Amino acid sequence: MKKKSVKNDNSTVNSLLVRRPIQRWFPLFILPTFLCFIIGFIWPFAQGIYLSFCTFNTPKDATWVGVQNYVKAVTDPGFTNAFWNTAKFAVVSIILINVLAFSIAYALTQKMRGANLFRTVFFMPNLIGGVVLGYIWSMIFDAILKQYNTYLTANAKYGFWGLVILVAWQQIGYMMIIYIAGLQAVPGDMLEAAKIDGANGWQTLFRVIIPNVMPSITICTFLTLTNSFKLFDQNMALTGGAPEIMAQGAKIKMTELLALNIYSTYNINKNWHGVAQAKAVVFFILVAVLAIAQQAATRSKEVQQ
Amino acid sequence: MKTKERYSAGSTVLSCFFVLLCAVWIVPIFEVIINSFKSNNFVNLDAFALPNAESFVGWDNYVKGMTFGNYPFLKSVSYSFIITVLSVFLILLFTSMSAWYIARVNNRFSKGFYYLCLFSMIVPFQMVMFTLSFTADQLKLNTPFTIPVVYLGFGAGLAIFMFVGFIKGLPLEIEEAAAIDGCSPVQTFFLVVLPMLKPTLISVGILQTMWIWNDYLLPYLVLDRTKYMTIPIHVQYLKGSYGTVDLGATMAVIMMSIIPIIIVYMFCQKHIIKGVAAGAVKG
Amino acid sequence: MKKVFALLLTLAMVLSLAACGAKEETPAEKPAETPAASSDAGSVYYLNFKPEADQAWQDLAKTYTEQTGVEVKVVTAASGEYETNLTAEMAKSEAPTLFQCGNAQSLMTWGDYCLDLTGTDVLAEMTTSDFNLTEDGAVKAIGYCYEAFGIIVNKALLAEAGYELSDITDFASLKAVAEDIHARSAELGFDAFSSSGLDGSSSWRFSGHLANMPLYYEFRDDGVTAQPAEITGAYLNNYRAIWDLYINNSSAEKTSLTTATGDMSSGEFKEKKAVFYQNGTWEYAGLVEAGIASEDLAMIPIYCGVDGESEAGLACGTENCWAVNSQASEADIQATLDFMKWVVTSDEGTQMMAEQFGPIPFKNAKESANVFFNDANAYMADGKYTVTWAFNHTPNVDSWRSTVVSALATYSADQSDANWDGVVTAFVDGWAYEYNMQNG
Repeated sequence: MKKKSVKNDNSTVNSLLVRRPIQRWFPLFILPTFLCFIIGFIWPFAQGIYLSFCTFNTPKDATWVGVQNYVKAVTDPGFTNAFWNTAKFAVVSIILINVLAFSIAYALTQKMRGANLFRTVFFMPNLIGGVVLGYIWSMIFDAILKQYNTYLTANAKYGFWGLVILVAWQQIGYMMIIYIAGLQAVPGDMLEAAKIDGANGWQTLFRVIIPNVMPSITICTFLTLTNSFKLFDQNMALTGGAPEIMAQGAKIKMTELLALNIYSTYNINKNWHGVAQAKAVVFFILVAVLAIAQQAATRSKEVQQ
Repeated sequence: MKTKERYSAGSTVLSCFFVLLCAVWIVPIFEVIINSFKSNNFVNLDAFALPNAESFVGWDNYVKGMTFGNYPFLKSVSYSFIITVLSVFLILLFTSMSAWYIARVNNRFSKGFYYLCLFSMIVPFQMVMFTLSFTADQLKLNTPFTIPVVYLGFGAGLAIFMFVGFIKGLPLEIEEAAAIDGCSPVQTFFLVVLPMLKPTLISVGILQTMWIWNDYLLPYLVLDRTKYMTIPIHVQYLKGSYGTVDLGATMAVIMMSIIPIIIVYMFCQKHIIKGVAAGAVKG
Repeated sequence: MKKVFALLLTLAMVLSLAACGAKEETPAEKPAETPAASSDAGSVYYLNFKPEADQAWQDLAKTYTEQTGVEVKVVTAASGEYETNLTAEMAKSEAPTLFQCGNAQSLMTWGDYCLDLTGTDVLAEMTTSDFNLTEDGAVKAIGYCYEAFGIIVNKALLAEAGYELSDITDFASLKAVAEDIHARSAELGFDAFSSSGLDGSSSWRFSGHLANMPLYYEFRDDGVTAQPAEITGAYLNNYRAIWDLYINNSSAEKTSLTTATGDMSSGEFKEKKAVFYQNGTWEYAGLVEAGIASEDLAMIPIYCGVDGESEAGLACGTENCWAVNSQASEADIQATLDFMKWVVTSDEGTQMMAEQFGPIPFKNAKESANVFFNDANAYMADGKYTVTWAFNHTPNVDSWRSTVVSALATYSADQSDANWDGVVTAFVDGWAYEYNMQNG
């Protein structure tokens, strides 16, 4: 790293006393992380963008084909179906998880016997991996549906709601923890003041508590949104996209979400590697736009409050 | 709230309700336990039935599960363990160092790197998974001992973001005093800064451990699967129709993979819950 | 404190140096260069196709390594995931040197990777070229065994029910026998067919082997010899008839077939709870091991109501063809060819092949005790026509089959005409779709 003359910018957190010596240690402090970051992220990302315009088996034999992969990607009925599945799934799970997690957190922050134990139990599913959860629940759903003479992959509805139940079961505990932290940070004197002003429970909840836990709501909706878009393990292990039907002259995996669709497209054969990578780029743009939009929307609300 | 108030009647009703809810919450785990003691056909027949004289097979499933699918389960456990410990250690050490540099050296490189880290947090794994597996294979990062490099690279974003957020809130005076006392930056970091980072180290450590221990797709694509499996890969391998499927033994394997987690959770529950809460508030 | 600090510092330095060192070296390393140690001697990496033969291959590889010092790695792909595994493994720097390339589609995908085996020692050992895959005169893959499938019968149980093998000569007689046994199942203590599980572990019995029947007859009528872009499904009613027969005359619940595994099905047959069990020659060893007397076993053709089918023999063919990776290093290729030759000539190798794969088409082949092969040969000797493996033409085979399985499962839960239309769609439209996917 070449040393440039340091500007006198004490306005920033940039103490000369600390900064200059650190800079000399650049190879120790930055280089290992940065090199790994290149290997693990920057290079694969850049190569991924490039390969989405190519047909390839391995990156060594890539040939440039232009936007052809993107055309194939967006005209694939399986992909659009996976998109709508994912969108529906995201909406349902964001609402369900956040409402339930908030309610449980709210209840647990009241005076209650065993609150700590309950918290421990609710959080537990987060420690188990998605693949394992998928198999556990597929066994349970099949056992339940057997009583009604049917099975999990018989109907796309079962698979969809099964996935919602699984993910809610898993993530409610996580979001609950965040809401509890938010609720505990609501200033006590504000609650006192509300009580003195004669506000009833609902008024306190909507006028005092919710505005104060807005940062937690932002985080939780952000996490549930991105989690549901990125969901893969549970989807693969629970139904693997089944049932599969032929419709509009194409094969559609009825319960497949986007991440799984990309993965299975790649596995069709080498002609589809490029298309899968193009789908991945579309997917990335979608997630990025949603994440940024969500952040912008809720942050602006926080400011208003 | 105030100390030792009487619980109201409403609160008792609520407690009862929550007891029921918790019971529902642990049904899936309970299911795994009972089915891990039943023979394969009985799992299929009625997964909810408790083991009876006919279906009970004792520890047979566990014994079978240890070697099921021609791959010793303990091997998967040890690889999972090695990967998780090495990766989390590398991430904590190197990203905290980098974060300090970024927070304290305010140049274009720091800013650029920091924004790249933020950016990497919203990129889904699917975007890089194919290319990452090629790169990792070529650089021989396909063993449990080298895959931590990939985890450090892909997991750096969140860790650096959390560390930088925390370090920016630390008073500069302490570090300046250390510098005046003649500490080199390395000494300052390890003796002064690192101890102050403890809460964030715990948070990042817990989040990364939960991620890496349970991660399926990254090791599946990157590791040389002919030699190395992790627990999630092992479970998927058993269920992914290895010619034959033995549900009883699969449940035993699942049980064995859950037990260590539950034990760790019992002991470190406070830290884990606090770590998650703290991590989220920063995120 | 000082010591701790010093230790930490050294640790950090060493780690970072190691990290830097590793990274600086690697870009210079060409992926094509294999480590010196392995390129000198050459080594074999076999990506095995048959999970049921995994143990036998592992043992054989160990024996070979003990005898010659050449490393042989055998990896087995889970059933239905061979192509996925092969794709992933071929992209790696240590790719398989010996792999499975068993049908026209596979040859299209992997043809570039198949070494021309003309003039090799192992080819010279073969007794027939019927099972080999060739392209423009080049031998791309060799069929190292052949197999037959049909309906496996427990003759002892059949006799207990008051029938003999000769009572079954076509679909009508099979149906009569099966329905009678099913009707009396409570009293007999066994049922006609073992469960037709559609779980991934054995669904290929129906989406692959059983589906071969309508495909074979259609291709026979239309004179199809190469992979067709479309099929008509002319014989799908026969497919429905035999499928109905299977699931209506079995103790398994029709709604739980999706979770019924291959183990359950073979278990029912082994425990003498079913007379009929659709599977292939490869099941022989397992059945005998489970205690069914060899003389009680027989294999009959899958009858499905096609005219003239009493003249049918068993369905014989193979998708077990070896191909050698042409992109592997010289030394690895040589090591692989040596290994292949050893497998088909040495005592240990031919022994294992005979046990696992029956009579193999090589000069040194050992006699097989497998009665199913004897049945297959007997049908041929009687001048009956062999049902060839038409399903080897299936495009995108794993994907096509999974759609068919999905539709079959829906149909089995409710055997309505509308649901059968779903199977027909999966079959016919699915074929055209997968053909396009495969080629586009």
